[in-house]
Amino acid sequence: MNYFPDEVIEHVFDYVVSHSDRNSLSLVCKSWYRIERFTRQRVFIGNCYSISPERLVERFPDLKSLTLKGKPHFADFSLVPHGWGGFVYPWIEALAKSKVGLEELRLKRMVVSDESLELLSRSFMNFKSLVLVSCEGFTTDGLAAVAANCRSLRELDLQENEVEDHKGQWLSCFPENCTSLVSLNFACLKGEINIGALERLVARSPNLKSLRLNRSVPVDALQRILMRAPQLMDLGIGSFFHDLNSDAYAKLRTTILKCTSITSLSGFLEVAPFSLAAMYPICQNLTSLNLSYAAGIQGSELIKLIRHCGKLQRLWIMDCIGDKGLGVVATACKDLQELRVFPSAPFGNQGAVTEKGLVAISMGCRKLHSLLYFCHQMTNAALITVAKNCPNFIRFRLCILDATKPDPDTMQPLDEGFGAIVQSCKQLRRLSLSGQLTDQVFLYIGMYAEQLEMLSIAFAGETDKGMLYVLNGCKKLRKLEIRDCPFGDTALLTDIGKYETMRSLWMSSCEVTVGACKTLAKKMPSLNVEIFGEGEQADCYVEDGQRVEKMYLYRTVAGKREDAPEYVWTL
Amino acid sequence: METLEQTQSSSSSSSSIDSNKYSNCCRNRTDLSTDLKLGLSISPSSPSQLPFNSTTPREETFAWPPVNKSVLRRNIIVEKQNHIHHQRSLFVKVYMEGIPIGRKLNLLEHHNYDGLVQALCHMFKTIILSPNSQPLNSWNFHVLTYEDQEGDWMMVGDVPWEMFLSSVKRLKITRANSC
Repeated sequence: MNYFPDEVIEHVFDYVVSHSDRNSLSLVCKSWYRIERFTRQRVFIGNCYSISPERLVERFPDLKSLTLKGKPHFADFSLVPHGWGGFVYPWIEALAKSKVGLEELRLKRMVVSDESLELLSRSFMNFKSLVLVSCEGFTTDGLAAVAANCRSLRELDLQENEVEDHKGQWLSCFPENCTSLVSLNFACLKGEINIGALERLVARSPNLKSLRLNRSVPVDALQRILMRAPQLMDLGIGSFFHDLNSDAYAKLRTTILKCTSITSLSGFLEVAPFSLAAMYPICQNLTSLNLSYAAGIQGSELIKLIRHCGKLQRLWIMDCIGDKGLGVVATACKDLQELRVFPSAPFGNQGAVTEKGLVAISMGCRKLHSLLYFCHQMTNAALITVAKNCPNFIRFRLCILDATKPDPDTMQPLDEGFGAIVQSCKQLRRLSLSGQLTDQVFLYIGMYAEQLEMLSIAFAGETDKGMLYVLNGCKKLRKLEIRDCPFGDTALLTDIGKYETMRSLWMSSCEVTVGACKTLAKKMPSLNVEIFGEGEQADCYVEDGQRVEKMYLYRTVAGKREDAPEYVWTL
Repeated sequence: METLEQTQSSSSSSSSIDSNKYSNCCRNRTDLSTDLKLGLSISPSSPSQLPFNSTTPREETFAWPPVNKSVLRRNIIVEKQNHIHHQRSLFVKVYMEGIPIGRKLNLLEHHNYDGLVQALCHMFKTIILSPNSQPLNSWNFHVLTYEDQEGDWMMVGDVPWEMFLSSVKRLKITRANSC
């Protein structure tokens, strides 16, 4: 390959797109490293503290698209105290200083200030796409800056963020000559928006393919918007609460008939009972349906709707659909690939679906590869059946509302059931366990889950052996998150080299002590070992023998981070 | 075997907590009170089945199930709207023209207009023209009307059944020739 001029190698590298492949290219030899770094346009950083912004910018001067993830996954469930970290400002600052021509920024679980958004909007002339998922720290003022200053903005996608509403007119800040929008998602915003500005924006955006509204957009405005944008492919309805007798509703029913391009439907943040019937005409085209926000739609109404959706590939729904409803899904949606069933009463311990619904799905939907299932109970027999019917699982996340519930038929732990899953699903990359589980399930996981990259464990296991089975067995493990398990110092310290092959390890409410964490940190300088409690001062940990409430360790080349709050002790 | 350590700072809220609860010096009390508010007191199926085999039953398991904040928020809305959707009955008053005493009928027992009309014919011992039928010698027959949420009287049968259920306040059987 040394005989080819650089231009040829560059051209070949253009075809290599995946992050891991590009990483491999850069390791072949010095000249490939050099060529790869100058042609690399997309970078994914799974842990923003694993590398410094300056290093990123130095290595990849041609960077166009950056994806960053901040807080650990368990932050979604309020297990990470406020202020832990994940600030994006240093990254934007470094990128701005370096004159990188950033076009796309995708952030997950990061703290994004208005200042960062303003700096972003002013620094990159060609900025096209901003995607914020589960972020916090900004207000509608920051959005106004993005709207006003990013002249070629194509995508503004806000998913499940905590955004403070300043009652400004951020939507009106899109200039009149901004006609480039392809995707606009503001469903997570709690406040009012200027409806007129929205309608005008839609009217001047002929390329708009994806639009997800928040609950402040009423039905009559929705109808007018749909009239202007019949080319929409992805629609998120904000409020669907209205008098079914009204003219607005009748008009909407007619307008929907024109929306033949819609293949993805979501939202219904507020919904009137019996109103989903308006959607029937477009159901046959839907490949993606997210009704998980539609609080209070009765199971029978959901079932009626889904009967029309023969082409569904992705379905997110609430458990009020019931086992019977899942049976209907299994009959109607033969192409289903991804299913998420959310709990409508998570703390009532009375999940509305059981193992029966899952078995029905596995029998009808043989293409299923991704599952998130909150349920009342699960049996080993059901899991064994599901494993047989659907060997193609890539993601299997089961959450039994009673965290340590055994198989109700046999009163046995669910080791055998999950064992069947990992044995049968050879492509399994992500697994979340629940229910009563002993060390045995971890033996199975270590033995069979060869492709497993992410494992989430809670209230499971009996001894340190459990955790060791996983660390020894799962060669491709990248993220391990454990809470409330009896794994302690022996488990933590037996195979410390393993942690350099992983992105991160989270252990909370386990049996790990301060002393063990100190030992680990000392032996492995390439890891940051952070311990913290619930926002208490870090010096509440005075004795080595003390149990650690929360530990988060990750590999890094950036060293100890400077922005950790007082309660985080980096050992 | 975890040790129960209650420091001074946690004593104020721990008075409302069962002393058997698992706790340690770094437990966040605001989380706890939120969990209690949300009725979060899941008890495991039986203490002996707890993995830790400790003498302190884990009666409180905060941040479980693992649902994020937006799921929690939508579920609070579900709780509020649940009263609408556990409705098994929708009783409305029914009057027949000329008869001062009315009847009551549960609309949710019927799945469509035909069922409703049949039930009313039976109840009032009259012939009610179904919405789809042709009016013949209309002087002897009745039609079914309803009052909607806006107070207007409308012919039954023009809108889809579900829409009708959402908007009907009461029914009236009137003589066909007075429509």
